[in-house]
Amino acid sequence: MSKKRGTGMACCFYGTGYGNGFPDVSTANVEIHDDGSATVHTGAVDCGQGSNTILAQIAAEELGIPYNWVTVVSADTDTTPDAGTTAATRQTYASGNAVQMACRQARETLFEYTRSLLGVNTIAGLVAREGVIYVKGYPEKYITYPEAAARARLAGCRLVGQGTFVTHTTAVDRETGQGAPYWPYAFGTQIAEVEVDTETGEVRVLKLVAAHDVGRAVNRQGVEGQIAGGIGQGVGMALMEKVHLKQGRIINNSFSTYLIPTTLDMPEVQPLIVESYEPTGPYGAKGVGEPATIPTVPAIINAIYDAIGVRITELPATPEKILAALRAKEGEKQ
Amino acid sequence: MGAIGASPARGDARAKVTGEAIYPADIVFPGMIYGQAIRSPHPHARIVNIDTAAALKVPGVLCVLTARDIPGHNGQGVLFQDMPVLARNEVRSVNDVVALVGATTPAAAREGAARIKVDYEELPALLDPVAAMQPGAPRVHPDRENIIYHLPVRKGDVKAGFAAADVVVENTYRTQFLDHAFLQPEAAVARLDERGHLVIYVATQYVHWDRTEVARVLGWNQDRVRIVAPAVGGAFGGREDMTLQTLVALLAVHTRRPAKMVLSREESFFAHSKRHPMIMRYKTGATREGKLTALEAEIIGDSGAYCSWAPNVLRKAAIHATGPYVIPNVKIDAYAVYTNNPFTGAMRGFGATQPPLAYESQMDELAARLGIHPFTIRWLNAFRQGDVTATGQVLESSVGLTETMLQAARAAGWSPDELIPGGMQDE
Repeated sequence: MSKKRGTGMACCFYGTGYGNGFPDVSTANVEIHDDGSATVHTGAVDCGQGSNTILAQIAAEELGIPYNWVTVVSADTDTTPDAGTTAATRQTYASGNAVQMACRQARETLFEYTRSLLGVNTIAGLVAREGVIYVKGYPEKYITYPEAAARARLAGCRLVGQGTFVTHTTAVDRETGQGAPYWPYAFGTQIAEVEVDTETGEVRVLKLVAAHDVGRAVNRQGVEGQIAGGIGQGVGMALMEKVHLKQGRIINNSFSTYLIPTTLDMPEVQPLIVESYEPTGPYGAKGVGEPATIPTVPAIINAIYDAIGVRITELPATPEKILAALRAKEGEKQ
Repeated sequence: MGAIGASPARGDARAKVTGEAIYPADIVFPGMIYGQAIRSPHPHARIVNIDTAAALKVPGVLCVLTARDIPGHNGQGVLFQDMPVLARNEVRSVNDVVALVGATTPAAAREGAARIKVDYEELPALLDPVAAMQPGAPRVHPDRENIIYHLPVRKGDVKAGFAAADVVVENTYRTQFLDHAFLQPEAAVARLDERGHLVIYVATQYVHWDRTEVARVLGWNQDRVRIVAPAVGGAFGGREDMTLQTLVALLAVHTRRPAKMVLSREESFFAHSKRHPMIMRYKTGATREGKLTALEAEIIGDSGAYCSWAPNVLRKAAIHATGPYVIPNVKIDAYAVYTNNPFTGAMRGFGATQPPLAYESQMDELAARLGIHPFTIRWLNAFRQGDVTATGQVLESSVGLTETMLQAARAAGWSPDELIPGGMQDE
């Protein structure tokens, strides 16, 4: 039998955000309209990872209106405020916080007006959920969001908010590296199951269990999508991807020679969402974009070791390297 | 049931599935022209002469721009502007753009580009980061050391830590140059609007930063530059540096016509950054019970010809070099080094993706020597709330690592109760 199976584990931590005291700032604006719907303006680019959806969910939750009443306008320097870059696993955390701050401000302006309509002595006595504003502990007394918003605006209230969130970090010492360079940290554990063909050197990744501490999952499907995509890139880095250079020139600049995983190379993925609740995050959220890919490579490399007893130290673990390592191991025995 | 923790349909899902979503490559304006870059074939050379006469005779070719046509600052970069928009006297990598053709059709632009004759005097190229670090190595940039950045991390006493270890594992690990391979190759359209402002539609990660870079290259005020990101087909860090933004800006401003560039997959590989390949020398010690006592690590990252985010990437590598484990004695040195290779920059994980190959392989090697399970050695050393990292940072909240270990182990069919010394009740 030339096919051997093995299991490998890997853990990671990941400091999100720019870090090291770099200005890590996001600003967002929000406006509640006459009908209770709202528009969020953010400079954050949605590169496909889903930030527009996440920010709409956070706005809906903070304003107390349905998700489909929120429109997010993003990534236009003439109309949206600077939200920092879509990188460093920072948009859910930094821009999520900015949107939450902006929405809280707009909602409190609305509540201040609504308070007198409902005979409540403090805005702390009001709750908004799913487009209805009601008295805390006495839900029978309520006003719909559209009615409250329309009346408030007619009375001259402008239901706008702006939030600017700064992620707290400090620079490390240049001589000792000491300091608090990132916040928050995300954590993850992945366990890979592989099958190695000892005749061809081919590695098939059968399954990846991926447990990630995201603080709080704002969008569960989004988190699962990030985990699956991260694993896909990890499989590529572990087993097949490499830009080959010849005298400084890239010689495999196409997908016929630069191999990335296809759906057929994807393992079964079992995502597990761990919610540790980060107190400085929006609703406890941290992020998952980058951490999702980080443990995949060592989990696979350790699974190869478990399967055939060879340690691959140079990526990617191509069939040629696996066979050479197996031959070297056989040579040691003889 | 609130909006948080739900999975509502993404607002962009339908448009992307049906093909209605607008990506920069879909954008067309009347009178639009097309750009084609001419890139250096050499990793290091002096530019002797650029002959554009034959290119300008190609029907449809409107202009050939070179360094002297840049109205503002001929430099771009997220930390230092060490990358010329159009190389003037010297090319430092095969990525470097030396000239830019504008033409009425993509075919004419390509034909024009093919007829540009650049005379180079080839110079020795530094292609090995270790060689580039040696004293006396020629400099890639005359005004900067080849070692762009060095971060030492020091904690405790590694000598004492290794003396206290029952087992020590030493290995060198190497990671590779990687491409982001995002689905949508680079695409950008620039046009002057009715106010005379420059509007650029581009697949990017940060519109406000692009505005800063474009305005600097044009020598314009930032309020006259507008950057819009329509749908973006993936990024993963490969859209943080200028690729087409400044080029389409130059074409539109020079010709006063809308200008578009869309890269082929083949050119996309040349245009954007790569993941830093790293050489990681690791020495890790543990007691026979499996507690880590010391780590000594040296990490060298190849920045290629330009800096991009190199100091930040290697800082991240250094700070994450221990893995998520308490190690009382640590000596880490991370270096970012210029070479004449294609430039490297941000990519998903940003310097924290390479060290896990080393630190997690070391954990399994230690476990194998000690005869303990890979889960067990990790469990014994894993960060918990209140623990202190190698940089002295106290992990004050949301440290869910051990919970991810337990859930993953159970899902993989392992029994944590049997793998944790003393069983679960200790936790």
